[in-house]
Amino acid sequence: MSEDNQKKTPAQGVPLNEDNYTHNIRKFHERKLDRRSFLKTMVGAAGVFAVSTLPWGAIAAKHLAEGSKRVYPERVIGSAADLPVGEALEFAYPGEHDTALLVRLGDGEYKAYHNACTHLKCPVFWDKAEGDLLCPCHHGVFDVRTGRPKAGPPRRPLPEIELAVKQGTIYATGVKRYET
Amino acid sequence: MKRSYRGVVYLSLVLLLSIVCTQQVVNAFFYERYALTLVVAGLNVLLFPAALWLYRRERDAE
Repeated sequence: MSEDNQKKTPAQGVPLNEDNYTHNIRKFHERKLDRRSFLKTMVGAAGVFAVSTLPWGAIAAKHLAEGSKRVYPERVIGSAADLPVGEALEFAYPGEHDTALLVRLGDGEYKAYHNACTHLKCPVFWDKAEGDLLCPCHHGVFDVRTGRPKAGPPRRPLPEIELAVKQGTIYATGVKRYET
Repeated sequence: MKRSYRGVVYLSLVLLLSIVCTQQVVNAFFYERYALTLVVAGLNVLLFPAALWLYRRERDAE
């Protein structure tokens, strides 16, 4: 094997046969994030945050221009005769993925809430024995009469659905404005 | 030249305000307080030129 061949494919760990050992030191990009780049990054981040709020502002302006009251469709949930006192019925309102829970508390007393737990959106169930709405994920408990959290991790009430009972049929007529 | 970190501190504060405003916009929108949403979103948009001005001032001082 000649000297030239050895130079092309050096053995592992054997230094190259050359005098200049500084060929792989690059000075130009030594300081990738200096003071000025850091400041630029912060300005850019502020810009990103500013731009990201624009859609929210635009939709809010649209809502303000259209009027404060949202209009919901009236939809049949079920018949009062099919729902005995103390029982619950799951339905979806206003969209097909907005699941909600209707509870019959008394003869003419109905309560309905969106049943996504305000903690981590687990479905909330009607606990008939305890008379509470129960989220089984982390044992969040909601008061069935007000929707307010009674125990567990949730801190915000469940959004309430407005109901109307006409001739033995229960209708969902809207979602109450969410207040805390 | 010994550098002053005042500009960096101010910019950090502006960026913190941006983050707080963004969060408040989302919260106000969720609670359907649309007027508040508009106000905070406007403030957030105004924070960007403020950050830019702080950056330019700091750059020119260097």
